[in-house]
Amino acid sequence: MHKSALKQMAGVEPLPQKVMDRITLIRYADANHILGQMASAVIPEKDSRLEDIFRNARLRAEHDHRMLQFEMNRLEHALVGTGIEPIILKGGAYVALGRKASKGRRVSDLDILVSEDELEEVEARLKLAGWAADEATDNPYDQAYYRHHMHELPPLRHQKRGTVIDVHHLLLPKTAKSKIDVTTMRQSSVFLEGKRLKVFDNVDLFIHSAVHAFADGAIDTPARSLVELFMLYEELPERDAARLPARANEVGASTPVSIALWAIGRFFDVKNSTVHSKQMMGLKRYLVLRWAITSKTHDGPLAPLAKAFLYVRSHYLRMPLRLLIPHLARKAASWRPNSQKPIELPVP
Amino acid sequence: MNTLARLGSYSRSDLRSALKQGTLTLHLGPFTHLVSGASNALLDFLSDTYRDYQVEMAPSDVTDVLLSLEAPNLLRRFVRRQITPNPGFKVPAVPLPIHMAPLAYEMGLNLSVALKCCRFINVHAGVVADDSGAIVMSAASGAGKSTLTAALLQHGYRLFSDEFALIGLDKPLLYPYPRPISLKQETISVVRDMVGDSWISETVTDTPKGDIAYYRARESDLAQDKTPTAAKLLLFPKFEKGARAMTHQLNPAEAIMRLVPASTNYSLLGEPAFHALTGLLKNIRAYEITYGSTTDSLRLVEQITGQKML
Repeated sequence: MHKSALKQMAGVEPLPQKVMDRITLIRYADANHILGQMASAVIPEKDSRLEDIFRNARLRAEHDHRMLQFEMNRLEHALVGTGIEPIILKGGAYVALGRKASKGRRVSDLDILVSEDELEEVEARLKLAGWAADEATDNPYDQAYYRHHMHELPPLRHQKRGTVIDVHHLLLPKTAKSKIDVTTMRQSSVFLEGKRLKVFDNVDLFIHSAVHAFADGAIDTPARSLVELFMLYEELPERDAARLPARANEVGASTPVSIALWAIGRFFDVKNSTVHSKQMMGLKRYLVLRWAITSKTHDGPLAPLAKAFLYVRSHYLRMPLRLLIPHLARKAASWRPNSQKPIELPVP
Repeated sequence: MNTLARLGSYSRSDLRSALKQGTLTLHLGPFTHLVSGASNALLDFLSDTYRDYQVEMAPSDVTDVLLSLEAPNLLRRFVRRQITPNPGFKVPAVPLPIHMAPLAYEMGLNLSVALKCCRFINVHAGVVADDSGAIVMSAASGAGKSTLTAALLQHGYRLFSDEFALIGLDKPLLYPYPRPISLKQETISVVRDMVGDSWISETVTDTPKGDIAYYRARESDLAQDKTPTAAKLLLFPKFEKGARAMTHQLNPAEAIMRLVPASTNYSLLGEPAFHALTGLLKNIRAYEITYGSTTDSLRLVEQITGQKML
């Protein structure tokens, strides 16, 4: 992938002139689920083919946003009378707040955060309202695994609408080495206007996005994560951006936030974020990680190596070996070729 | 070579190299399609069934559909070669033996249009039109939709589409997308007798969908592929062996409720799709027609439209 690609998709640099380069860029954006974001950030010529393609992408995202708004409404409804005020995380929050990062974004499920002692009641209420354990993880092992070791309940799928809700009580798995101080973050969360639902404040929204991208998982969708972080950062008022390093430190997210700031500087040429990231980490730190992120994003010749490194790192971050080895052994033993159910398509 | 020309005007080696480089661009109706993946089976098929379609050897603009026909893995590129359509997103496509390339190509285009091109409402239906408007025929696979479509083409109608009724979101009009008509099993010989051997592609035998052949669109169909039109009639054809010819009129609500499940993106589009469908069906009648022979089906259409067939 060309070095300017991310900037072009985020609308910071003009699209390539050569048709085949444009096609490659669109194909990349689509495969990485950011064609919608690109469609919102880049203004095509009127009545052009590009406008048609962008319109397709925007229509799909609009559907997701309608779905999400409705699910938030149903969630609020399900929790009436409990006094529980869940925090809407990630995509849901961006959509509810109308953030730039939400424009054209595809959303597949609703992520919420409640306190650990509210989990039981939330789950019971959601089940009364038609959600049930998702088939894929509805077995004793997965159910127990989520409840003992993870930062969320096993996914709940609505029986009629098919939509999924993930109920978190932490931002990282319980077994993860690094701990994020969710309690402090919850304290500065704010209500969505007219709703009994909350969202993180500006700074914490960015922090959570960084934690999600760089402290959890194998950076599976680097382009999507980076564009999201960039757009969130761009909308952060100067005062909040300055508050970021101290706040990250306070909630235990210095590492992911410093990497996020470095990445925004590295991929989008944002000076301010580079300066802040240098303040947060020495120049020599996380060299291998930074190389791996760059390599995976650009999908260069060493990308497979970078991916392998990030994969191992993700498991190392998530749980200690004494848990990891039995877990992987169990997953391997239950693996069957073609065990994934084919998708039913309404296509001739 | 960024010029539009009939596919048949290019040499086989030009086509092959464009497919190899992934630059062959097919223009049809509201869409452009970038196709890659050269194989003899595909070249044979394209140079026969698609010979009158407009193509470019390299795209002059970005394209709606990106279809790559590729081997499912390295082994199957060389040994007992297989092919699978890759429209740029995950599809549950079964790898097919390489001689079924036409099927992989047609399936790949269908999947792309059905799942990606949501600036139109796609309804699984055959559409033909004459100067007074379009007849939309919606039916499940095997209900005789393609045969009736082919039959109407012999009687003064032009082909809009055999698979998709494309309905505009801004204007409730039907947009032509005259891909070849796909014929399955017994339909092949029925349509071959109707239109003559030279219009039907070679039969691809023993596919997961049985025997398949394609009925080539005519130059007169392709010449008007940019002209949308309003609907004049909605039909739900039902072929039943030995059935007595019957018509049953449906009210607009019933008709819409039958079209919704036949659409690949109605629920995705939501409100605009509702308005477009109701707009399309405003002031037109909808019928379920049952028949046991092509002659009967044509007679029923004559009766309903009040237009004598040519």
